[in-house]
Amino acid sequence: MTMNDWTGVFLALVAVIGMVATYVLVFRPSNKEQFEAQGRMILDDDDPVKLGDKR
Amino acid sequence: MEGNSATPVKYDMEVVRWFTIAAAIYAVVGTLVGVIIAAQLAFPLMNFDLEWLTFGRLRPLHTNAVIFAFGGCVLFATGHYIVQRTGGTRLWSNKLAWFTFIGWNLIIVSAVVSFPMGWTQGKEYAELEWPIDLAIAVVWLVYGFNYIMTVGIRKTSHIYVSNWFTMAMIVMITYLHVFNSLAIPVSLTKSYSIYSGVQDAMVQWWYGHNAVGFFLTGGFLAIMYYFVPKQAGRPVFSYRLSVLHFWALAFGYVWLGGHHLQYTALPDWTGSLGAAVSLAMIIPSWGGAMNGMMTLSGAWDKLRTDYILRFLVVSLAFYAMSTFEGPVMSIKTVNALSHYTDWTIGHVHSGALGWVAMVSFGAIYHLIKKLWGVDKMYSDSLVNVHFWLATIGTVIYVVAMWVSGIMQGLMWRDYDEYGTLSYTFVESVSAMHPYYVMRMIGGLIFNIGTVIALFNIVMTVRTAASLRSTNAVAAHA
Repeated sequence: MTMNDWTGVFLALVAVIGMVATYVLVFRPSNKEQFEAQGRMILDDDDPVKLGDKR
Repeated sequence: MEGNSATPVKYDMEVVRWFTIAAAIYAVVGTLVGVIIAAQLAFPLMNFDLEWLTFGRLRPLHTNAVIFAFGGCVLFATGHYIVQRTGGTRLWSNKLAWFTFIGWNLIIVSAVVSFPMGWTQGKEYAELEWPIDLAIAVVWLVYGFNYIMTVGIRKTSHIYVSNWFTMAMIVMITYLHVFNSLAIPVSLTKSYSIYSGVQDAMVQWWYGHNAVGFFLTGGFLAIMYYFVPKQAGRPVFSYRLSVLHFWALAFGYVWLGGHHLQYTALPDWTGSLGAAVSLAMIIPSWGGAMNGMMTLSGAWDKLRTDYILRFLVVSLAFYAMSTFEGPVMSIKTVNALSHYTDWTIGHVHSGALGWVAMVSFGAIYHLIKKLWGVDKMYSDSLVNVHFWLATIGTVIYVVAMWVSGIMQGLMWRDYDEYGTLSYTFVESVSAMHPYYVMRMIGGLIFNIGTVIALFNIVMTVRTAASLRSTNAVAAHA
């Protein structure tokens, strides 16, 4: 195993652990409402666009 | 959101307007050049024996015009819009946004001049010579800095997922552009890559596929996750899935480039790794596409009357199709047939026309109505006509290239009982001719759609302007 190989293994492990952590975080039932509320936030800005630029 | 609870936020939207109009214009120009080079392949006479207009010089002009001029302006327009709206704040610096607009358009002008002159680095999707590469880096970094600083001054606690996709694009494109463009200049118009041989190929496709992954996919997913819910008037089907989609794309996409170089001097395992991760990427890609489509769950009837929504939803169908087709083509046995054939061109265009252009026009129409304060476009019927021209044109184009590509692959590998090739290369070129004509027709239909869109947009803007002046006169009377 060269330094390159070890670097590759390390990066692959970081990616896998990162993905597993994301799965756990996202699909934990207690986090559901918090996440979905964040998805609704863009519907609250539906006022007409106020332009700040000089015309 | 806090931003509009007490005092209405005033946004910096003039620059968004300019980027939006520029995008609509570049869509017409970029696809027109595409039609011309398609015609050149079908009828070589169309090269006119002029070196400035030959296929080799106009082809990079077409790809750069549609990806960086049209696609870039769409991303800048929507990026500057989304970051303000989701953060409930103005831009950190309106001046830097204008610098981005002017700088980016000057770069486009320099491309229009330099490609017909034959000044090129010869790297796919990164053909521009080194002085322009430096300008791209400066303008891109200014955009990225302004975007991230605007996220920093947001009035909301959460950073909406579209901003994550855009920031991932900003970071990755910076890396890709800088490292892929490293070159030794020998004059103002000529430079040589610092990489050579197989390393050059590897870096090229590390750049090439990640440009697709982060510019043409990540950037446009940011658009999808904002504009599909907004146009449908419903929150995204599963915000949790969108978060997962983002991280899977960020972790996974960077591994794929090797699948472009199967059966080359590249170590065999790099191509296999690229193919394996490509197949794994079907899961988040389809998850994202389903997430976008299911946003319409319970409101599918809107598709009957909302033509803008049609653009957005059909783009997702093409996104799903392309993100399945790509991984299949990366498998070595399939790649042995498909590589170097027109099948690849068909695959690219199902993504470029079906996904990128469709989702872009959905966003452009949405923006035009919002930014000019009108309830409807000048002609909703023309939006519908554009939708069908875009869909039919894309399907004709893609089918022509599928048939042509598979036929090419089969003819090239066919041999007789003595082990001699059954067809000469010229015979395969001759067999492709009808499909090249068909491709040109499909592209022309798509191009006509963009002209109609531009006309509709210009008329909408003019109508909105005259309405404003009428209202102003009435208010003074």
